[in-house]
Amino acid sequence: MGVCITGIGVVSAIGMSVEENLSALREGKSGIGPLQYLQGTKASLAGEVKASNEDLRKSLNVGTEYVSRTSLLGLQAAREAWGDNKRSGVIRTGIISATSVGGMDRSEVFYKDYLSQNSPDYQVLTTHDSGSTTERIAAELGISGYINTLSTACSSGANAIMLGARLILQGTLDRVLVGGSDALSRFTIDGFRSLMIYDEQWCRPFDESRAGLNLGEGAGFLLLEGEKSLQLTGNRPICNVSGWANAADAYHQTASSPDGKGATLAIENAIRRAGIGLNEVSYVNAHGTGTKNNDHSESVALRNVFGDHIPPFSSTKAFTGHTLAAAGAIEAVFSVLAIQHHLIYPNLNYQDSIAETGLVPATLLETGAEVNAVLSNSFGFGGNNSSLVFTRYE
Amino acid sequence: MSVITAYCRLTEDVCAVNGEVKLRRNVALEDSWFKQIYRHFDFSYPKFYKMDKLSQAGFLASELLRKINPGIMGYGDDEIALLFANRSSSAETDQRFKDSYTSNSAPSPSTFVYTLPNIVIGEIAIRNKWYGENMFAVLPKFAPDFYKNYAQILTSSDSKAVLCGWLEVTAGNTDVFLFTVEEKEGGTEFSEENLFRLLETAATH
Amino acid sequence: MDSLKEDLKKQIIEQLNLEDLTVADIADDALLFNDQGLGLDSIDALELIVLLEKYHGIQLTNPEEGKEAFRSIDTMAEYIRKRKAA
Repeated sequence: MGVCITGIGVVSAIGMSVEENLSALREGKSGIGPLQYLQGTKASLAGEVKASNEDLRKSLNVGTEYVSRTSLLGLQAAREAWGDNKRSGVIRTGIISATSVGGMDRSEVFYKDYLSQNSPDYQVLTTHDSGSTTERIAAELGISGYINTLSTACSSGANAIMLGARLILQGTLDRVLVGGSDALSRFTIDGFRSLMIYDEQWCRPFDESRAGLNLGEGAGFLLLEGEKSLQLTGNRPICNVSGWANAADAYHQTASSPDGKGATLAIENAIRRAGIGLNEVSYVNAHGTGTKNNDHSESVALRNVFGDHIPPFSSTKAFTGHTLAAAGAIEAVFSVLAIQHHLIYPNLNYQDSIAETGLVPATLLETGAEVNAVLSNSFGFGGNNSSLVFTRYE
Repeated sequence: MSVITAYCRLTEDVCAVNGEVKLRRNVALEDSWFKQIYRHFDFSYPKFYKMDKLSQAGFLASELLRKINPGIMGYGDDEIALLFANRSSSAETDQRFKDSYTSNSAPSPSTFVYTLPNIVIGEIAIRNKWYGENMFAVLPKFAPDFYKNYAQILTSSDSKAVLCGWLEVTAGNTDVFLFTVEEKEGGTEFSEENLFRLLETAATH
Repeated sequence: MDSLKEDLKKQIIEQLNLEDLTVADIADDALLFNDQGLGLDSIDALELIVLLEKYHGIQLTNPEEGKEAFRSIDTMAEYIRKRKAA
């Protein structure tokens, strides 16, 4: 039985729901474009969710203005994943949510007012805390058994899923809502631009000419259930999360090692934990940010693990942009959809393979593929590397 | 049995290891408190000066733990997990980064890389060449059950030892508590009560 | 004494938080990115780009260009003079 996924929810630049995201993935339609809502940055392209904060508040029926965009996006995806599940006195239910910027999108507006003494509204700061999104979702859905917020950069979303699965197996929880949420902010865009890894053109994961990432925003959530919970809810499993691993790269604060050490460990250990053979991995949803450094290091890691038999792989970040702490969760949802709908997604904007490694990603949408096990990679600053394995529910 | 084999505490003016005060802050000195500790123990790791306060604190406390408990270097390089948490994430550095581009117009890349709370774990991993699991959670307050619970998960998979840390460093508040958890017979049991007790008493002797 | 080079050393110490170094510790021809020199890394290189803009009004958009310019204090000073003369 293991740990089952019974609900998924996602919001990203390519759609406000699972259905919208799925159809954009099928159509090869990227959500990356000029910024419409976020003001004051120099980035020419980003994967912005196509709704203003007011739109989101209205459609989510959130009355207060004291709510960050990170929380609104989180709520949107969490509600979809939770569906019409009920709170329960018997099913021990938890929530683990990941974020890297928290309410920075609102704090930076506050900060400007504060510096210019333009009657700053101190109550805005209540939305700054990394935990505020988690608390808000928990309160709304009536989840109180376990509430945790993880912050390990771009692997946070994957780590939330990993921790959730483990808490179920450990017997601490019966079901747990796991995921991540991050909104675009000037803070992160300026930061990545200062590192000179922000591409002013469309990002090109795994391409020789790749020149950096485009940031994106969004949220992804998954409802995980163990055997006891399934018996009580009667929910139908969509698939299993059966492998996970995390490893340190121990190389540099932000750069990945040239030998892909941490990534290799994470991938190997996750597949081992899933109890499947290397040749059983049907598709790899790569981290593939489009930076020189990540894509090279990840390619080396894939080569280390799979040798000459690397499964079809692609990065979906040319669709959504890099959504930081949400990426692992959004891509987990995409991985689940790949299994559910027998899909392998195209790696957009790819032309030539990276000279040193020569890996060629999937470039065309494959439908009707036999996708039974998906490996999803998420590698974060701090050398925090995580891999997850999703398998078909039998 | 899981036992706490060593612990280190840094507060605004005290540096203590295993409950014993090793150094008190000298306010007469120009050096920052963390730099005083670094110099006092003759550490030699030039990167220390480039780290943000959170990473400096994590570096110092983990080095002090290594000194008092060299046994932790005996594990395989992927057998030690790092499990950290705090309340304010990287708020102090976030603000410095924000200032770098509000006042100077050019965002500072070397400040930006520290605007994530888990970079400190990365620094400790780099320093020790540790490839094990690492995790950072943001919690409302020091929560022994978080460590207890997660450490159990870690040691029931591939980790043999866990370096745990509560690492809250903001302007005017230094609240750092690092401890090593290992599987051994005898010693201070890794329990919620003991964690609270050590946290409270560690800096007052 | 070349005042541009002295200024550069001060600015590097300040920009990169090299608190344990003084201007006298940095030789004009020492390799900045070599462990026998200052042992700077890729993030420091980005800080040097910020430094050029902040103190010298020079924008460097291609990090590759920086590699040559940032070899030593000598090459940095030369680069700045060339850019300003242009």
